[in-house]
Amino acid sequence: MTLSGGLTGARGGGAPGTPGTPGTPVAGLGRLLPAGAGAPAGLGRHLEEHGPPPYGDGQGLIAAVEAAGLTGRGGAAFPTHRKLRAAAGAREAGQPPVVVANGAESEPASMKDKTLLAFCPHLVLDGLQLAAGAVGAREAYLYVHRDADLSRGLRDALAERAAHCPDPVAVRLVEAPARFLAGEKTALANRISGGAALPRYGWPPVSRSGVRGAPTLVQNVETLAHIALIARHGPGWFRELGTDAEPGSMICTVHAEGGPPRVTEIAIGSPLDSVADLAIPATQAVLIGGYHGTWVPAIEAPGLPLANAALRPLGAALGAGVIAALPARRCGLAESASVARYLALESAGQCGPCLNALPRIASALAALADLRPPPETGANLLRWADLVEHRGACHHPDGTVRFVRSALVVFAHELAGHEAGRCGATDPAPFLPVPEVPPGNRDWK
Amino acid sequence: MASTAADIALWHTGRATGIFSIVLLTVVIVTGVFVNRKGELAGQPKSVLTELHRNISLLALAFVLVHVLMAVVDPTVSISPAALVVPFASAYEPAWIGLGAIAFDLFTAVLITSLVRQRMGHRSWLVVHWLTYAAWPVALAHGLGTATDLHSAWELVLTWACAAAVALALGWRLVASRRALPPGQRAAALLSDADRERAAASAARRIPPPSPPGDSPAAPGWPYGPASARPTGGDDRA
Repeated sequence: MTLSGGLTGARGGGAPGTPGTPGTPVAGLGRLLPAGAGAPAGLGRHLEEHGPPPYGDGQGLIAAVEAAGLTGRGGAAFPTHRKLRAAAGAREAGQPPVVVANGAESEPASMKDKTLLAFCPHLVLDGLQLAAGAVGAREAYLYVHRDADLSRGLRDALAERAAHCPDPVAVRLVEAPARFLAGEKTALANRISGGAALPRYGWPPVSRSGVRGAPTLVQNVETLAHIALIARHGPGWFRELGTDAEPGSMICTVHAEGGPPRVTEIAIGSPLDSVADLAIPATQAVLIGGYHGTWVPAIEAPGLPLANAALRPLGAALGAGVIAALPARRCGLAESASVARYLALESAGQCGPCLNALPRIASALAALADLRPPPETGANLLRWADLVEHRGACHHPDGTVRFVRSALVVFAHELAGHEAGRCGATDPAPFLPVPEVPPGNRDWK
Repeated sequence: MASTAADIALWHTGRATGIFSIVLLTVVIVTGVFVNRKGELAGQPKSVLTELHRNISLLALAFVLVHVLMAVVDPTVSISPAALVVPFASAYEPAWIGLGAIAFDLFTAVLITSLVRQRMGHRSWLVVHWLTYAAWPVALAHGLGTATDLHSAWELVLTWACAAAVALALGWRLVASRRALPPGQRAAALLSDADRERAAASAARRIPPPSPPGDSPAAPGWPYGPASARPTGGDDRA
């Protein structure tokens, strides 16, 4: 059985920055993403394949999710059963919680949530209903970036369910601007409450006061799809894949040279080089997690298990499941500078340290990506990075600093070359997709 | 009642700490206005101003505490401990001491909410912080009303200087806030500022433009970032 495979996504004719559109399914693990089928799963085929969702035993479902060891697939890998228990506890304390399926996939290099929503919306919606039932929620939302095609498909899916097998809890679709921070959970709560999709201070947490002040359970759409399968097949089945500490499968977006990015379901713990071709010297480094993630030198990649336990010593984490194998012919500093520029522009502009430091950091990294940067540039950059860390309301500055620091470590040889007036890159085509930050739509709604 | 030397010392300590308090609170407000408008001290990182604002406010607290403590222990006048926090409960000068109690209460609310800021919503913190603008004039009025030395020019000058400083800072705040960008545009503006600074610094070093191989970052058409952000040419840097 191949570990990789799955869906290939066309990257809008190769132009970086166009949102990933789901493409043609090929063979894969086949748990979440349909194997070998070319069309989105309608309700009929979904029920044929999976059967109706087993409602009724909320406590049993939470226990099953705990036994399965499912963690959040949005990036933070927080144990899902703890969030479910907290929401169920709020219900018992007389505050009915709100449940939100978070499909606002903000990492530009990640396409897994969009692909999952496009091809298997009913698995996600089953998971949303099961979670809502388990925690006693009366309100449920599906939260996505504004995208006409995606929303049309989701509205169709919701209408199909309403017509054929009405859901216990009505689901409302809420759209947010396609900004990097729109998927952050406090921004999500603000947006669904009717405000701007801007983050706020983390206290009180949305689990206590989120959508219109109600305790709010926010789960990534892939996590909900896993819940839908655990409810049907049980925790033992879920644990057949993955490691003991990190069981199950996850969907990754794999960027490698010579083709569009692939959206593929892998078993957690699969070796990195089974997911992407990482032959040295053709590949120089791998970006793991996303744009808040970490560069790992290609020399570490052979046999490296894709599990947080194995990635932690390298300072990396699975995050949102982005794996980008940077070809040796590209300039790692120029790639990182272009990402850092994007991240700086995506600062919400609310917290002074983030607003003031990220543009300077991005500009300094752009200087380092040039030949013969001013000698103090690197030291300044690291000083600003220290100043900004842990000083934002959300984790945007921390994630950005982590990414930039890892670039300076992994591409240190390239940096030395630039200082001497040389660049090792021979291919000027941008590799990582970096969206244009829109000049309009400044109200974040 | 015969005043002992100790009583006189208490009286003077109370007055001196009161005067220092109003001066320090004025500095706190002025630095606070600059922090709010993202100002900076020449040659210092922006966080220095924030730290000044916080540290001076704690220093002001120390002076205010000594000031109110003196008011209670000083036997020259009769002010009950309750009158420190309950407005107009003082036997001595109920109106003016009452204003002091109001200012003390308001500043205490601002201080406590700032100490637990991480634990509360930003908006509620901000609303309480605005109380500063109510507390400061009340404190100033308390100073003017209770001062027994207002015939001395230096005390009047000091009071009016404090008032002028706050008025100037507030006026500047109004002008600056009208020029401020909405949140979504701030990062872009700062990024182009940083790029311009970098380009200017690099032009100042007068490095001869490198002669690039065909496909290096210095080559025309290199796609990362806008051309203006890539000061490798020479003429387009200014």
